[in-house]
Amino acid sequence: MRSNHKNTLLKVVILGDGGVGKSCLMNRFVSNQFDEHSFHTIGVEFLNKDIDINGDTYTLQIWDTAGQERFKTLRTPFYRGSDICMLTYAINDKSSFKNLQMWKNEFLYYADIKENNQFPFIVIGNKSDITSEREVSQLELETWCNENGITSSIETSAKNASNVQEAFILAVEHWLRIEKRADKNETVYNDTVDLTKKQGEKSSCCIGSSDEN
Amino acid sequence: MYELLRGLEMHRITEKEKCDKCFLQRSNALRRRKKAFVRSGSVKRINSVRKNPKKHQEKTKKNILVKEKNEDFRYIQLETKKQKQHKNPLIIPNKSKYATIPWILRWKFRRVHPTCDIRIQQVDGGFFEKFGSLFREQVELTETKEKLEKEKCAKLAAEVIPSKLDYEQEENEILPTVESDSENEGSMVSSDSDLEENKDKNDLIFTALNIEELYAEILYEILHNVGCDVSYEIGQTTLFSYAQDAFKISNDKHNHLLDMAERKEPPELLLNVEIIEAKDLRSKDSNGMSDPFVTLYLNSNNTHRYNTSVKQTTLNPTWEEHFALPIADQNSEDMLILEVWDFDPAETVKEKFGKLFEVKGVKGMRKLVKEIALTATNGQHENELIGIAKIPLKTVPASGMTMWYSLDKKNKVSRQGVLKVRVSFSSEKNNQVAEQELRHMLRIILLHELETSKVAPYWWCGMFSPQANCLLTQHIAQSGLTPTEVSVCQYCVFALIHQSHALSFALFSKLLAGIVKPLQNNQICEDDVKLFWNATKKLLPSCFSIIRKIRKKTSNEKATMKQVTEVLKILNYILQLDLPPNTDLFPLNIYKWKTYTGDGPNCDIFGTINDAVVQGASDWMNYILENNNSRDESDVGRLTYYIQLIQLIKTDIQKSIEYYDKLFQETVNFQYAKSLYIFYQAKVSTLCEPEVTNICKNLKRLTFNGKTSTLMTTEDSKEPLSAGTSLFELYLAVQRFVVLGTGLCPADCDNFHIKNFHQWFHGGVAQWLDIAVYKALQRIEKAVELDKLTQVDNTVKYSSSAVDTLSIFYQVKVFWQQLNWPDVESSYTFIAKIIDDICRCSVFYADQMSAKVDGMGDHENVYEKKFEVTNEWCLAINNIDYVRETLEPFTQDLGMTDIIAKITDLKSPVDAQRCQHTLDNVIANAIDTVRNKIIELLEIVVNKMAPSMKRLLIEGAELCNQDSNSIDRLMMYVDNNLSTLHRELNEENFNRTLSIVWEMLGATLEEIIQCNLDKRRPPSFFDNLHKTLNLMLGSFKSPNDCSNCDALSRTERLLKINGLETNDLIHEVHLEMARNFAKEKESSYGEISVKVKFEGSAIKVEVMNARNLIAMDSNGSCDSFVRIHVLPEHKFSAIDKPKTKTHNKTQFPLYDEAFVINITHEQKAIKDGLILFSVKDKDLLGYNNQYIGEAFLPFSEIPETNKPLSSLPQVHLQLGRPTSLSSDCIRALEHRQGDKLAKEFLKKYKQRMGS
Ligand SMILES: Nc1nc2c(ncn2[C@@H]2O[C@H](COP(=O)(O)OP(=O)(O)OP(=O)(O)O)[C@@H](O)[C@H]2O)c(=O)[nH]1
Ligand SMILES: [Mg+2]
Repeated sequence: MRSNHKNTLLKVVILGDGGVGKSCLMNRFVSNQFDEHSFHTIGVEFLNKDIDINGDTYTLQIWDTAGQERFKTLRTPFYRGSDICMLTYAINDKSSFKNLQMWKNEFLYYADIKENNQFPFIVIGNKSDITSEREVSQLELETWCNENGITSSIETSAKNASNVQEAFILAVEHWLRIEKRADKNETVYNDTVDLTKKQGEKSSCCIGSSDEN
Repeated sequence: MYELLRGLEMHRITEKEKCDKCFLQRSNALRRRKKAFVRSGSVKRINSVRKNPKKHQEKTKKNILVKEKNEDFRYIQLETKKQKQHKNPLIIPNKSKYATIPWILRWKFRRVHPTCDIRIQQVDGGFFEKFGSLFREQVELTETKEKLEKEKCAKLAAEVIPSKLDYEQEENEILPTVESDSENEGSMVSSDSDLEENKDKNDLIFTALNIEELYAEILYEILHNVGCDVSYEIGQTTLFSYAQDAFKISNDKHNHLLDMAERKEPPELLLNVEIIEAKDLRSKDSNGMSDPFVTLYLNSNNTHRYNTSVKQTTLNPTWEEHFALPIADQNSEDMLILEVWDFDPAETVKEKFGKLFEVKGVKGMRKLVKEIALTATNGQHENELIGIAKIPLKTVPASGMTMWYSLDKKNKVSRQGVLKVRVSFSSEKNNQVAEQELRHMLRIILLHELETSKVAPYWWCGMFSPQANCLLTQHIAQSGLTPTEVSVCQYCVFALIHQSHALSFALFSKLLAGIVKPLQNNQICEDDVKLFWNATKKLLPSCFSIIRKIRKKTSNEKATMKQVTEVLKILNYILQLDLPPNTDLFPLNIYKWKTYTGDGPNCDIFGTINDAVVQGASDWMNYILENNNSRDESDVGRLTYYIQLIQLIKTDIQKSIEYYDKLFQETVNFQYAKSLYIFYQAKVSTLCEPEVTNICKNLKRLTFNGKTSTLMTTEDSKEPLSAGTSLFELYLAVQRFVVLGTGLCPADCDNFHIKNFHQWFHGGVAQWLDIAVYKALQRIEKAVELDKLTQVDNTVKYSSSAVDTLSIFYQVKVFWQQLNWPDVESSYTFIAKIIDDICRCSVFYADQMSAKVDGMGDHENVYEKKFEVTNEWCLAINNIDYVRETLEPFTQDLGMTDIIAKITDLKSPVDAQRCQHTLDNVIANAIDTVRNKIIELLEIVVNKMAPSMKRLLIEGAELCNQDSNSIDRLMMYVDNNLSTLHRELNEENFNRTLSIVWEMLGATLEEIIQCNLDKRRPPSFFDNLHKTLNLMLGSFKSPNDCSNCDALSRTERLLKINGLETNDLIHEVHLEMARNFAKEKESSYGEISVKVKFEGSAIKVEVMNARNLIAMDSNGSCDSFVRIHVLPEHKFSAIDKPKTKTHNKTQFPLYDEAFVINITHEQKAIKDGLILFSVKDKDLLGYNNQYIGEAFLPFSEIPETNKPLSSLPQVHLQLGRPTSLSSDCIRALEHRQGDKLAKEFLKKYKQRMGS
């Protein structure tokens, strides 16, 4: 049973061309395993994992999608209601990088998101372990992100586990930043926060009265 | 409205079953109500028919117009009339059927078994009910639906009929002869010759004939009527006038021709006799047998005799021999004499018979027979007469007769046996001419008959009027035509007339029955065979036209059936015949619709049947397609149109199965329905595939955020909603169409293009699932809104919206099952999506539920704000839990195992495992997420209770010792609320609540403690608080569990500590140190060894030595001594604190000193007493001894014994120093700043730490 302190649930979707290593990233992150001969994903895969950031626990519900074109109609229904979107390419595959734009558009359309610069996208350049075959430079990555108003990007390797944990943390932090900004604007009350406030008021009032006695 | 509500409640009260049963009930209710839905639908449709009488009128008008224009189409208009008659009764019974059920009653029927609240359905207009339940009630539904469709079909067919005119006209153009026929009726030029493709020698005879000659011939025949049956019934004059009418001859002409006929020699008639057989002849020979033969002659000419052959040794001979006896004059008294003889062979005769095989030609034969007969009658032999039969010629009818005659013998009464004879008249006319004449007569007479009779040609069944019959029989008799020849003539003439006057097909099949055998046996002359095939070629187009237009007569199934039956019989007969070589049975200029592509003549009857069937279906479909004027060009409009089209097609196929398929199969061994289906499936595919694929590709996605709770049916979402809905309807329609095909053609259906129809819809599935969620969310919102938060019934602890939500889930499931999506990979993904969606719905439900109860139970008056746990709150929690519980079983019903097994086969076990894993995870996540929601709600409840509980605690602490009813009141509050929770929630959730309460209490208390410590509350305050807490915990039903809660036990300890007097608190510090030191294995300060025991009221201590003492002096050594304290100090205040001598400059001092400390019995009984060994380094001056370390020995570890100390084992104690300033006790002491004792202790404590 989950502890009585409920975690914040975050829905994460991982998008990107078939074979860039989305499934491997997820498996590395969730179960710290790597499969050299992983199969193409059928439709979607799902895993969840808790992650602690600044003392708070977040439960990431990770939807790993199939990148192959023939699965398009199968994966897009899962975009709706996402909190975080990871756009993935492989640094040794230029075309997967070129396709990022397509992935981003597909996501925005099917997730039904209106203000796209408000949404926490994170760009991931996977397979950073095989630098010898690198086709996409870090500069190109930065340029693309700047052009698209995306502030978070990272190069990872599911194979040697570098930056995988960091990528997900980066994503959640990005989400937090945007969430906080939204909070300020809309003053959305979180239940717990709200109640503590009331408690505070009441207790002081009680104490006040008892003091007088 | 109120009524409705009460009905609902009633239902809920009766619903005593648990979840599954409840499901069952619901699905039953659903089924029932579905019926009602369909019914109301059909009523509507009927109404619409009635509302549109204008349309019908117009149609009728059109038909009448047609009638005026073209007589030939009489029957069409007749049919329309019939159809109309047929139609009305169809509407009336239906109408009356529904009219008898009062509307109110039906409405009530609806109310008794509501599935989910009707008002919930109203949210989306019964979205799920429309499709969701189709699956289970398919059988029931299709029945009703079919009925509707049939009705619709009939309506459509009625519309098709006018267009039939076009076909007919078109065909008439193809056969120009028909028209010329009717134009030139007067001058009666043989139209046969026009039709004949290759002129042969027959033509000469045909052209020689003209109508006047034929007429004269008929008059002549009337004058010389033969047979017994004629003149009695119909007088000559009647016949003359009939013939004149039929041939349209003027009086002058008639008289002239009659005169000519009268002057003509009487015809030379022949009496045809066939001696068939005899039976039971009397025996004449000694062997009991006879050797019979027959001699026959006319009375008027008894020398002219004819004999049959002799049949040896038999009494039942069969001859079947033919004779033609010329009738000399019109002697009506003449008689045919038949004599049966027993042949007795005489040499001479035998010789003569021997010659029989030598003669050739009829003449010679006759001569010979005559001779034999002469010998026989001369009595020059010993032949013996068996018997005689006499037939007066006037008893013979013109058409001839076959009879058994008994044989007489002079003077003998006994029977001589019986003889079977066929007698008929004939002339010596040329057969070809006679047949030709017959054909013309037949045609003229039949046309005349059809013209004068009131019967439509179609109903004419071959019965001529008596006059016509008489004329024809006379001609046949006087020409001596055989029945087969007559049949062929009739067949040819009828086929010709059929071109302009549709005759009953039964006529042809009846004739064929008689012709087929002779044809097969080559018994028909070459010319007639040729005529037969030409006629057949003429007949066949209209046969196939019947097949092609099988749909046009839907109003009169029986007539159509009859017609088709006869047509098929005809085809079957034709199929049995060998076609003459090079016959082009189906010339392409007539059969324009044929698909035949081969070179040369085409005689493929089966191929033509198939083409006709397909063409008929195709015409029908094109008609529908072309006449869809009011076509709505929107996606929804087009989809709806296709749905209707498929329904129509389905009905057509079903009808074909019902009516025609068996007929075709049995008569011509042709699979009618299958052939239709193959055509339709291709057609449906070509029509729908591009459209559907395109619509699916361009579907606008539904705009709704799955997370927010406000669902708006904006104009934006309306269009994709209805497009998706229609698309799904079409999917189901095609699906059912495919199922139909699987049943019809189990062997071929895999090759049908339509088999993979689901691929067209691929892009739509996601949309449907989205719609399903959208609708489900809407319904949930409504269900929560309508929920009155009362138990569904006494046995369950949830309320209506939970049940409604489950039934919504159930609908989603049925929706999925109905989809029956065949593709494995996508099925897997969709299941994952559905589970995730259901999870989303559950979360949404939880949010709605908690929003609904928010604010309930809050009471506010001038004195206080208070929250009471209400049943509503508990129901809300139970509701969510109830929904959560059903998630797992729900997911199992989605067919996961099946899909995973298929993935194993299709892909690999590894893939299957990954998919399984994902589904499991999604389910687990869903359940977990909903559980999270429950906890969230529980927290809200507890947090709402928190202020009151906090107040109780504080007041308790302030007023504990005074009688206060405010405490009682607050105790009651806690007690009431907790027992409500205990009563209403299940154990799991109650325990969850308790642990949340404890956590909350812990946090609250800590806050109170902190707050009051700051205010320097006396220890008694905290003590009271502690007592109050215990009081409160006692009111929890299972207080034993509270130890699980860390926060609470920690605060409880805090309370205890802060409630202690300073002395006790100090002792608490020591106890804590004792516990901590005991845990140490090694000490950096050293170790001492002691022996301690109780003896009576004294403590005896021997300090043995110390080891590894920490170096305190600059020289790296120390000068140590040990002081012994008994603690707690304030309880042993009068007791000595002995100490050892100082041992200089050693880290391993050997003290070896024993002490006796006398204490009282009471002091000895102190449970947590401690002995403290404090080791110090003696300062040179003795003023400032340095602290090395200390060790504790609890009383509980000291043995009570009389044995000398020396016999006891040494106890080794690690030395330690106080380490922490943050312990609760120290912090409590720190808060007692006004307390001298505390202050001093803390000062020393810190010194000990720091040294
Ligand atoms: N060298 C290297 N190879 C990797 C890395 N990550 C994944 N791969 C390999 O890339 C291949 C594809 O990885 P997947 O995770 O299946 O790719 P995917 O993006 O999930 O592909 P789809 O499911 O088809 O969308 C596998 O053979 C992996 O072994 C990486 O960081 N470094
Ligand atoms: Mg993958």
